[in-house]
Amino acid sequence: MINYMKSEHYRLLRKKGLYITSVICLLLIVAAAVVLYYSQYLDPNFPYATSMFLYSNVISGALLIMIVGLLFNSALTGKETSLIKQSVSFGISRYTIFWSKLILTLSYFLLLCVIGLLLTIALGETLLASEEQSVSNFLIASSNMVPIVLSGFFMIHVLKMLKVSEVYIIIMFLFIFIFSGDLLYMLFDYTPSTLLNENLMSFVNYSVQFDYRHWVTGIMISVISLLIGVKGFAKQNID
Amino acid sequence: MDTIIQTYHLKKTFKKEVVIKPLDFSLRKGEICALIGKNGAGKSTIFKMLSGQLFPTAGDIQLFGKSDKETAQAKKRMGFMIETPEFFPDFTATQNLEYFRIQRGIAEKERIYEVLQIVNLTNQKKKRFKEYSMGMKQRLGIALCLLSSPDCLVLDEPINGLDAEGIMEIRKLLLKLNQEKQITILVSSHILTELQLLATRFVFIKNGVIVDDLSKEALDDKSKKQIRLKVDDAAKAARLLEQAYADIQYKILPNQIITIQNHVEEGGEINRLFIDNGVLVMEFRMEALNLEEYFLGLVEGVEK
Repeated sequence: MINYMKSEHYRLLRKKGLYITSVICLLLIVAAAVVLYYSQYLDPNFPYATSMFLYSNVISGALLIMIVGLLFNSALTGKETSLIKQSVSFGISRYTIFWSKLILTLSYFLLLCVIGLLLTIALGETLLASEEQSVSNFLIASSNMVPIVLSGFFMIHVLKMLKVSEVYIIIMFLFIFIFSGDLLYMLFDYTPSTLLNENLMSFVNYSVQFDYRHWVTGIMISVISLLIGVKGFAKQNID
Repeated sequence: MDTIIQTYHLKKTFKKEVVIKPLDFSLRKGEICALIGKNGAGKSTIFKMLSGQLFPTAGDIQLFGKSDKETAQAKKRMGFMIETPEFFPDFTATQNLEYFRIQRGIAEKERIYEVLQIVNLTNQKKKRFKEYSMGMKQRLGIALCLLSSPDCLVLDEPINGLDAEGIMEIRKLLLKLNQEKQITILVSSHILTELQLLATRFVFIKNGVIVDDLSKEALDDKSKKQIRLKVDDAAKAARLLEQAYADIQYKILPNQIITIQNHVEEGGEINRLFIDNGVLVMEFRMEALNLEEYFLGLVEGVEK
């Protein structure tokens, strides 16, 4: 497994897609902060040049973060799954391939998330008007997002490894992370869309707290996705 | 003789269609075995089951005497190239092989240069895989097979897309690997004349079943002279032959062609028999079969 991860690491570091995706994401954060910063000079009554507003955009962008996860997964597993046959024919198990790719992609994704988070805080606190508890509230709200974003990331990995087309991936995502609250009203409190909306609302209302429900939902989606994925991939013919 | 590959009642079905019927096959150490069959005969499916890409529906595979979970270790002694070799398109040959070198835990970096030298790709250092010709891709595929110094190579269409010079180079390379390094080879190709120059054993497969399994000597023996006739009515000609010669061995091929494998020395009499009985003979030839013709006779001919 270590050798497989090393080889994937070698490859990933030479992929332009990794750098392009990362740079675009970080540039978008910088651009958002800079636009807010200059807007206050253009319009003295501009009310959104605050760190709270910048952070709330991040908190409301869970789906966008998951799309970044999709791009990361595409960079690592996407079109190049055909190369898996060379690894399988050398006796490398499908489990090793599944977990190695997941661990490595996840590591880079988390690294980008941490850099993005720190960059957002740095820009928010230096360029924009900041309130006393905004950073701590932002970190609490972000930590509530983590399990749901990760569950989305695991789901993407599983669907990619099972060669599900991107159209179906997007449909599943829309269902689980946007429309689930309306459709699965019996589980209303625990659906990802409801939890993400509540997290955003409590953040903008200055009442955000650590919420275990995010972890319950996130862990459930993650475990189910990974179980389906690892079993499905282990039985998959690689053609 | 040691057995490298052994299959027991190996079977594969795709959505109820039986692609490989229970198949018993063995590859012995030192052989160059050619697997010959038309498109869709099941060659690639067999290769993919051996490599682990496809799971057999039934049956068992032993590699170097190991089966089940132990085959993973045995596969490290093998090199597979199945269908088109796949590599990262934006990587050079060296980068692609470096990726697999790391993955396979091969310590010596020089091994990459060695295998590139073997397949004559050392002068393409800066070219990316997506800029490679088909022949270069095939050579890189073979280089990857050789990377881990295997004892056995399984090559599906290794000379596909190569020019005449490239085909000759690969043939020489495979013969050299077999003779000097005792590497056992299982190979398939559409270029049967090339296989005839390379292989020491020929296994013919039709609709997922082995229909013939011959050593080179046996094939040479079977490829002895025959009479080939083009007539206006092959069915009538066949009836006349059966009436005149009780032990006649013949095959009817498409386009009213009939080939006769015995009584070859009585060609003149056979010709007269047809003419006297109103069968028009448009072509009469004495010929020796090559592998291609033997194969076509085997898979297409209506044999008595």
